[in-house]
Amino acid sequence: MRFEQLNPFTVAVYYLCVLGIIMFSMNPLLLCIALLTSILSAVIGGTADKRAHIFSLAVFLIAALLNPIFVHKGATPLFFLNDNPITLEATAYGLCAASMLTTALYRLRDLSKVMTSDRVLYLFGRFSPQIALLLSMAIRYTALLRVRWRKIRDSQRALGLFDDGNLIDAVRGRARVLSILITWTLENGIVTAESMESRGYGTGRRTSFAVYRVHKYDVLVILICVLLTALTAVGIYHSRAAFYPALSMNLLTPWGITGAAAFTVLSVLPLIINGREAIRWRLLLSKT
Amino acid sequence: MALVTVKNLSYTYPDPNGRGGVLPVGETSRSDSGGGVSAEECSSRIVSDKDGVRSDNRHRALSDIDLSIERGEFITLMGATGSGKSTLLRLFKPELRQNGELQGTIEYNGTDIDAMAPRESARMVGYVAQDPEEQIVTDKVWHELAFTLENLGTRQQDIARRVAEIASYFGIDRWMERDTATLSGGEKQLLNLAAVMIADPELLLLDEPTAQLDPIAAARFIETVYRLNRETGVTVLLCEHRCEELFPISDRIVILDGGRLVYDDTPRDVARMIGNDSRFTAFLPTAARLFHLVTRSAQTNYAIPQSPFGDSLLAGSGSPSVAARRLPNGEHLYQREPEMPLSVREGQRFVGSLRIKEVPSEHADAPLTEEALTLKNIRFRYERRGADILRDLDLTVYRGEVFALLGANGAGKSTAAAVAAGLRKPYSGTVKLFGRPLKDYQNGSLYKGNLSLLPQDAESVFLCETVGKELKGCDAVMQQLPFDLSPLYVRHPYDISGGERQLVALCKSLAAKPRFLIMDEPSKGLDANRKALLLKVIRQLKQDGVTVLLITHDVEFAALCADRCALFAQGRIAAIDRTNRFMTDNRFYTTAASRVTRRFCDGAYTVALAAKRFSSDGGAV
Repeated sequence: MRFEQLNPFTVAVYYLCVLGIIMFSMNPLLLCIALLTSILSAVIGGTADKRAHIFSLAVFLIAALLNPIFVHKGATPLFFLNDNPITLEATAYGLCAASMLTTALYRLRDLSKVMTSDRVLYLFGRFSPQIALLLSMAIRYTALLRVRWRKIRDSQRALGLFDDGNLIDAVRGRARVLSILITWTLENGIVTAESMESRGYGTGRRTSFAVYRVHKYDVLVILICVLLTALTAVGIYHSRAAFYPALSMNLLTPWGITGAAAFTVLSVLPLIINGREAIRWRLLLSKT
Repeated sequence: MALVTVKNLSYTYPDPNGRGGVLPVGETSRSDSGGGVSAEECSSRIVSDKDGVRSDNRHRALSDIDLSIERGEFITLMGATGSGKSTLLRLFKPELRQNGELQGTIEYNGTDIDAMAPRESARMVGYVAQDPEEQIVTDKVWHELAFTLENLGTRQQDIARRVAEIASYFGIDRWMERDTATLSGGEKQLLNLAAVMIADPELLLLDEPTAQLDPIAAARFIETVYRLNRETGVTVLLCEHRCEELFPISDRIVILDGGRLVYDDTPRDVARMIGNDSRFTAFLPTAARLFHLVTRSAQTNYAIPQSPFGDSLLAGSGSPSVAARRLPNGEHLYQREPEMPLSVREGQRFVGSLRIKEVPSEHADAPLTEEALTLKNIRFRYERRGADILRDLDLTVYRGEVFALLGANGAGKSTAAAVAAGLRKPYSGTVKLFGRPLKDYQNGSLYKGNLSLLPQDAESVFLCETVGKELKGCDAVMQQLPFDLSPLYVRHPYDISGGERQLVALCKSLAAKPRFLIMDEPSKGLDANRKALLLKVIRQLKQDGVTVLLITHDVEFAALCADRCALFAQGRIAAIDRTNRFMTDNRFYTTAASRVTRRFCDGAYTVALAAKRFSSDGGAV
């Protein structure tokens, strides 16, 4: 089974673990691993195109530069800019923060590709069928409103009433479109309400239907995630990474190395799962 | 025992003008049908000439209805806008009932329908309304299918099974994972039907389900309903303006007028009877209308048909036109007539038995010289990586003509209109209006006195809280139009019927006195009377020298008003010709009259034209 085909709950647990470690540790070793593996995943998984990579690079550079420019703490000045010291410590911290931000960007992009709206719904539907329905309707409405906005703007323009020649007209035109959009949607919402009512909404307890199941494999993946995360946490606890006032690192303790290894495995877990699947598929093909 | 028995039913709405929150729900809906009943009656109808039955400001929507529906029947309910069709349909679904006053009884399965629990009603009685878009509740196709069963508290495994069943039955299994917003109108309506059928109802109520669809999607929808009726035995009660497909397949046709039931019989007998009732001839399918025109002009006896149950059927119907024409000797002459044709196939058989009259060929049309709109080598796409919607489109519309651009939904007609109106920029090609490129019309001068577009959704036009405010500055235009909107001035644009809304939008789009008018699906969802009115408007615009580009999928409508027609397919024009040649040369995408007659003679593409070409002298009987 491919990673994307796992139960949404499993996928959510996985990303919670990965993002949690990235967000709450300022460990240069882990951040370095996280950055490299997230780029690797994006390239292999094909979740980011060239433009996305360039955007991530820009974010990385800006974030890495901003910290040393604005923060002048630290004991080791590298050089002076406008009489302000650019310190080694602030630069290192900036690089780490930038790695964290870029990694999070890559991972969230992956997540949005894997977690489609119906998977999010399934997750929330576990808690309450009402919330699931509410979300589903909200998602439908955003798509509907976008289409409708364009329709209204077009017909207003064709009547000579929508003009964006100057700022005031543009604002006025948009306000008009918005006003029509709201009236239209509210007035017609009654049809939706009737459709719901005639199909038995609110006649008693309702269930929530989903097309996902929980397999043994899901349980296994969740257990692995939890175990690797625990190892990583222990590793973080047993290594030292302080930036200010002076860099003070002790990353390669036995536990630190174990934690980093565990985190590496965790980071590439989707790749391992998909790779296993690909190999099995190959073997299956070669047999037939 | 009948599934539904209606006895002596009357239904009265409270005063619709005192808007103290008592306005029935349906009145504000988009529907052009029963929903707009009282709104219409109380604003002294602009199409129909007579007032509804009213007393003390209250509007009586239905009077003295007796109807019995057998299990497994397919019944089509017809009637003009405001005749009470929708009101009647909604009475069979207590949770949709509006706050009117009901007299008489409705029995479902032998018990009072009000005694039915909401949950039971949701399971037993399915309801599909007109608007495909607004009935959809959720974002994914599979979720929409499951919605009804979720509400009924069905277990997961059972839902999974039913969803799978219904999806493969309706052929929607391929788009189960899609977002509902990306479906076409026809697909949406099919989904709405499937989502209702999943609960396995006994009775299916359909309120003008195909009014918003193009003819192909509409035919597919009706075919699906018919198949359900045959294969699952679900009882169908359907109200509709579209009669062509429904007459041949219905078990019974019921016609309402002014809230009264005036006809209730088999399609063939109803077709026989209403041929002489000018109020309803528009409901007849083409073949039957042709039959009446030909036989009447031949002055044969059987022009005055009569049902053996005529008296009881018409009791209380207040239908003098039928009564007056009854033969004095009361003979059942219809038994000697040729069979009343309902479908195109039967129509061909009937026409084949007739004599073809030679008529002088039509005078040649005036040549078209001056170009009004020119599209040249237009290429357009919405997304950078998407497919081309318009592929090398060439089109010239000449000054003073009414030009109809026909084609299926999704072929790109509306996109072509948007490009022609300057709302979308093609990535290659030129658009010229009256000899000038569109970009030469600076500062919005394009939309002031030159070009106007009547959008498909009239709702997208309204901004003010009353029709009167909406039409400010349109007085000059309104005086020239063949209808009067002033009774509607005090009403909110959403409280008038869909057809009236269309007319208000039309006035707005004519306010700037355009020389070129583009109309996007103007005949969508209109009943026969409204269509006739719209035809009048278009003819008058033509007389005033306005060039009209009609974007439509309604072939029958185009045949009645266009000078030239073009068939749009795959992003370009596939065929373009004068209307008579276009309709005659097309085999499938043409009017029903043309399909009935084309093997026998040329150019008879409307019922009126066909009636001139055939006579029954020495032919039939």
